[in-house]
Amino acid sequence: MKKALSLLMASVLALSLAACGSSANTTGESASTADAAETQESAAQSTDAAGTTYKIGICQLVQHDALDAATQGFKDAIVEKLGEENVDFDEQNASGDTANCSTIINGFVSSDVDLILANATAPLQAAAQATSDIPVLGTSVTDYATALDISDWTGTVGNNISGTSDLAPLDQQAAMIQELFPDAKNIGLLYCSAEANSVYQCDVIEGYLTEMGYTTTRYAFTDTNDVTSVAQTAADNSDVIYIPTDNTAASNTEAIANVVLPAKVPVVAGEEGICKGCGVATLSISYYDLGYQTGTMACQILAEGADVSTMAVEYAPNVTKKYNAANCEALGITAPEGYEAIAE
Amino acid sequence: MEFFTSLLNSMPGAVAQGLIWGIMAIGVYITYRVLDIADLTVDGSLGTGGAVCVVLVLNGVPVPLALLAAALAGMLAGMVTGLFHTACGIPAILAGILTQLALYSVNLRIMGTGTGGGKANLPVSVDKYNLLVSARYVREAALSNPLVVLVIFCVVLVALLYWFFGTELGCSLRATGANQNMARAQGINTSFAKVLGLMISNGLVALCGGLLAQYQGFSDINMGRGAIVIGLAAVIIGEVIFSRIFRNFALKLTASIIGAIIYYMVMTFVLRLGLSTDDLKLLTALVVAIFLTVPYWKSRYFTKPAVRKGGKNNA
Repeated sequence: MKKALSLLMASVLALSLAACGSSANTTGESASTADAAETQESAAQSTDAAGTTYKIGICQLVQHDALDAATQGFKDAIVEKLGEENVDFDEQNASGDTANCSTIINGFVSSDVDLILANATAPLQAAAQATSDIPVLGTSVTDYATALDISDWTGTVGNNISGTSDLAPLDQQAAMIQELFPDAKNIGLLYCSAEANSVYQCDVIEGYLTEMGYTTTRYAFTDTNDVTSVAQTAADNSDVIYIPTDNTAASNTEAIANVVLPAKVPVVAGEEGICKGCGVATLSISYYDLGYQTGTMACQILAEGADVSTMAVEYAPNVTKKYNAANCEALGITAPEGYEAIAE
Repeated sequence: MEFFTSLLNSMPGAVAQGLIWGIMAIGVYITYRVLDIADLTVDGSLGTGGAVCVVLVLNGVPVPLALLAAALAGMLAGMVTGLFHTACGIPAILAGILTQLALYSVNLRIMGTGTGGGKANLPVSVDKYNLLVSARYVREAALSNPLVVLVIFCVVLVALLYWFFGTELGCSLRATGANQNMARAQGINTSFAKVLGLMISNGLVALCGGLLAQYQGFSDINMGRGAIVIGLAAVIIGEVIFSRIFRNFALKLTASIIGAIIYYMVMTFVLRLGLSTDDLKLLTALVVAIFLTVPYWKSRYFTKPAVRKGGKNNA
């Protein structure tokens, strides 16, 4: 038993050594494999009159409704524009483990995909580190400048990276708080300290809110376990609570609702999912649309030969003001004109 | 065939990741096998290493110096666990969990230093900084290939540790792990030995964190989550395969590194086969459980007790 196991493992090892050898060997060998790939590709071209089959690697950070919707939108856009038979998706999920992102991206780079979709911040960073020639499109990333450490942000990343941002305009969100709660004084910002995107959004909206004359206080929780107690503190000390597009908060809306609703503190949320669970109003972007938009960008790169380095990072096409009817009623808030009720 | 070339092509990446995690596996080996302590600090100290290294690099410190600082920070974390355990009398496993928990806050603070406060994720791009290892060059035949640097790192570390565990101090560490009472009877300060062992182990883990952050291009507050399982898996895979051949201490450390490489090769392989990543953690846990079970069952159910054999021969 053990011997068989050892043998198996030894053979795996031998295989790996061979692999190391080939990689360290010379460029000659890797060039020959590239040649092989090319000939295969040209063979595919000659047989298929419609064009080449594009290989697209999709790396998603974690199983999550918003991210799932973005991936779905991306795929739908590409299938619609390029045809199902012309594109081959390799879809992998890092299950929230950031170290997995490197492993997955490494797989994409080695199988020489035509384009990588990095769904969320960590996959984008891993992809940026792993390749400088395969086009990488990000989605569900809030701020590319923060994620990729770009100091002079011009709206375009400038190398092999572009994509879409899930940032709902924060100035409009601040304006919404002012519109709904002009008499409030203290605004609590509730978010998870492990999420860079949330910290960034709080930084920005804090500026807008202070300008409007509100006092802001931050309440950060570290994980699912202390959401309730931090939310309680926030509810006790705030007139209104703002929650950015925070993934941890999104998974804990029930826990937050159980605290803020009895305390009669309204929550304004950065995205629809959180608002549906525990909020009263939100400025909503659709992750599906965002993914679809990313898919359109991918088609421009793959089929129309657009240069990724000149493509600016795009934002969500439509922003809608939405309110949670049940929670508004419970807290005695009447939504003004122009707000759309969130579907149950 | 295309599947095979692509798999072969992805192996350098897997080996590089394996080598990095191999350094961490050596750290786990020192606590788990040499000191006989299951140290859970590593889930936190891996992130500490990454955080310290990236923050320093972003603030203009040369990379080697940043790595050294990362290792020192990890040793500090190990010392805290050691003192919790020895000076405060907290059971080792709990002491590790406490430090790991505390390190979450500490790591957030570290990553916020000089970068605007409270960051959960810090990018470090190979285009802007002169990084030692980067996933970008793993398939290139040049000196900048991280495999070269990593192999040198591993060889030097194994040599250093081999030397250290041969000194009187190193031997006292091994004695403490082998038989604490006997070690104490020999005049060894076992508390000191445990603290020192935990420091060395966590120093190595943090060094791994620093290299990993450079390799993947960012440091993240969650990067150490589940690290202990990968480390244990590497140690145990290495042991099961090489325990018959590798008797020498340096070779045993090498076995841990190879274990980590095999772990990542297997992982790359199953991912290429199309296993859903949803099931990855379950698979990892099962692999570790099986590798732990096989030697135990083998010795318990498939070996004739040595005593009876001896008696028969003597009769």
